[in-house]
Amino acid sequence: MSQATEEFFASLPARAPAILRAPVTGTLQIDLTTDHRTDHWLVRLSPGRAVVDRARGPADAVWSSSADLFERLAIGTAQSISAVLRNESTFSGNVMLFLVFRQFFPTPPGVRDPRETAREQTGRA
Amino acid sequence: MQQRVSILDGNTFLVCDRSGDVEPSFDFPTGMFSFDTRFLSTWLLTLDGERLHALSVDDAHSYQTRFFLVPGEPTHYLDAKVSIIRSRSIGGTFTEDLTVLNHSGREMRFQLRLEMGSDFADLFEIKHQRPKKGRTSAQAGENELRLTYRREAFHREAMITSSADAHVDQNGMTWSITVAAHSEWSTCVTATPIIHGARGEDVRAITALGAARGPAVIRDEQEDLVGRAPQLGCDCEPLAGAYRQSLHDLAALRYESITLGVRLLAAGLPWFMTLFGRDSMLTSLQVLPFLPELVPPTILMLAGLQGYRLDDFRDEEPGKILHELRYGETAGFEEQPHSPYYGAADSTPLFVILLDEYERWTGDAALVKQLELPVRAALHWIDTYGDLLGTGYVWYRSRNPETGLENQCWKDSWDAISYADGRLPGFPRATCEIQGYAYDAKRRGARMARLFWNDPEYADRLEREAAALKERFNRDFWIPEKNYYALALDPDGRHVDSLTSNIGHLLWSGIVDESRAALVAEHLLGPRLFSGWGVRTLATDEGRYNPIGYHVGTVWPFDNAFIAWGLSRYGFREEAGRICESMISASRYFDGRLPEAFAGFERHLTDYPVQYPTACSPQAWSAGTPLLLLRVMLGLEPQGEHLIIDPLVPEGMGRVELLDIPGRWGRVDALGRSRTPHDHEHHH
Repeated sequence: MSQATEEFFASLPARAPAILRAPVTGTLQIDLTTDHRTDHWLVRLSPGRAVVDRARGPADAVWSSSADLFERLAIGTAQSISAVLRNESTFSGNVMLFLVFRQFFPTPPGVRDPRETAREQTGRA
Repeated sequence: MQQRVSILDGNTFLVCDRSGDVEPSFDFPTGMFSFDTRFLSTWLLTLDGERLHALSVDDAHSYQTRFFLVPGEPTHYLDAKVSIIRSRSIGGTFTEDLTVLNHSGREMRFQLRLEMGSDFADLFEIKHQRPKKGRTSAQAGENELRLTYRREAFHREAMITSSADAHVDQNGMTWSITVAAHSEWSTCVTATPIIHGARGEDVRAITALGAARGPAVIRDEQEDLVGRAPQLGCDCEPLAGAYRQSLHDLAALRYESITLGVRLLAAGLPWFMTLFGRDSMLTSLQVLPFLPELVPPTILMLAGLQGYRLDDFRDEEPGKILHELRYGETAGFEEQPHSPYYGAADSTPLFVILLDEYERWTGDAALVKQLELPVRAALHWIDTYGDLLGTGYVWYRSRNPETGLENQCWKDSWDAISYADGRLPGFPRATCEIQGYAYDAKRRGARMARLFWNDPEYADRLEREAAALKERFNRDFWIPEKNYYALALDPDGRHVDSLTSNIGHLLWSGIVDESRAALVAEHLLGPRLFSGWGVRTLATDEGRYNPIGYHVGTVWPFDNAFIAWGLSRYGFREEAGRICESMISASRYFDGRLPEAFAGFERHLTDYPVQYPTACSPQAWSAGTPLLLLRVMLGLEPQGEHLIIDPLVPEGMGRVELLDIPGRWGRVDALGRSRTPHDHEHHH
């Protein structure tokens, strides 16, 4: 398990109040696979609150991904919905949990605020 | 252009020629598609090596077609001894019954052959052709042919079967048959598109989406939806026909989203069989008085996929509502940004407007409470990321120069926004109608904050901001020497001064100063914009005007419906009626199915509306147009717990009666009747 992934899960409870604003409650199981093993994470989501365990189900939705892809999601270099569309990750169960959970994945590194760029370019900075 | 026949169910559809055949095509999406992937690109029937020719085609239903065919070219089919019926339907699976009829008095032997193939092209690879990155293979089995495509874990398959014994090879199936005198032979061929997900299972099987449905189920679903809509009784046959056709097309365009498991409306056949923020919301506004239950799934889906981070490739920002969601290979492998793509500056205010309008009709306060935070985030976007230059307007400028959209308003083709002399402005751009939507969104946001979120301070603030925006807009966008609102502001804040249909949307939003509304109405119905069949997208004397230019001269039915609504809102009922009349007259020439757009030629020049060459049809917001026109003509407006009915039916249209209009009042009837020319004299 990579450090970025560990840190990502460790950060969820503190970030939950700002991020989990939709009225969605349920348990999401996340299966992360490497060549040799599968790690299970269980995240109980409710408005303003996330409880994380290293465990498996019961869950309302299961989301599977390679450990490598998940790390890229956790640092913002990959995007979750395109990963599902190309079947690199899969889910089953209540999709709203996935749509809510994806909001924990950060902005790609190095992205600038588009307002700064636009104002600079038009000489309004 | 070759005539094409289409059948569809949701976002699974098939486009073929007049004989039912499909030949590989790289410029137009012919073949069978599902979720943005082409599953069949070759589907070609021959009898003893000869192509077949259609005597007649029965395509009365959107999901079913029947072709009556004979061998050979039209010159020598008259005494055909054999004919073939191809009867097909679509609904998850594509099913084709092939029947060979021997009309002669002796036993006959035939070789019937169906060529089959798939290139598994993504819809975007048809517009911009390039070699496939994955591997295609064909596997012949017993009465079965499997065509598969794999690229890494992306796995699509077309599984084709025959009920009668066939000789199967990698390129199709052959039936060597003997048919007795005056007798017939038949087989049923099915082609099932399979989207493999986890552990290789069909995604639709594991996400609880509906399984394949037969034509009987589809018919029942369509009839059920049409039956729930208000009943229209009227003297005007074109209006009755357009209403009937619209309801059927809206039913056919519903599809089940692979990501949410809910039924959503696809935007238009064949290019736009997917979820568009703008199209689905404007269509929802049109259908609200008729089929309000179609609206919540769209709103919830858009809220669930609301932007939450900065992403340049997808033009995503926190709070922004999506522009387009696709399901195919190019979206998955990030060769196109539609996962989802957020390149629209109008979808976010439209989201607020739609939810408020939905509550005004239905009284569904629960949904407004449930969506408080997404709506607040949308309103916040208008003042933050939407206001790129910090000038109090909503601007757009794509951060994805390769595959993003230059114009992020409804007129989204590259040349749609131009100065009167034809030059194109720089970026960012702030088009006028988006400012109108932002104004309306703030006013409606204030209503929801006051009534449902218990936040009168926020409501007051939004109302103050809306008033300030209106004042600012009327100062900065009005061109005094031309007496209309500029199409847009350029990056230096100067007027993009073309006369366009966009000013009609301003009336709908209510941002137009009362003192200027008459001038705007005059322009909309004046000769530069009004063709007689409707309001053109761009006035005839502008530099880029072209009567068959996509957004620079054609007439768009949905655009006209919102303009009529806007005129009506400012009391220009007679002018609104003229637009209603012209649209309904035009629909007659399209068998009641208004296309995406038609040419901007003068009505007296052509006598009929000239079809735009590649217009999508059916198109959701064109199908919604007759519904919104009915609302305008009958003057339907919710007020509190009641529905105000204030009809003004255009002259000559006679009686218009809409029964069982659903809403928070239960169901009510509306009745309108046009004044006769005689009445007219009498009253004036």
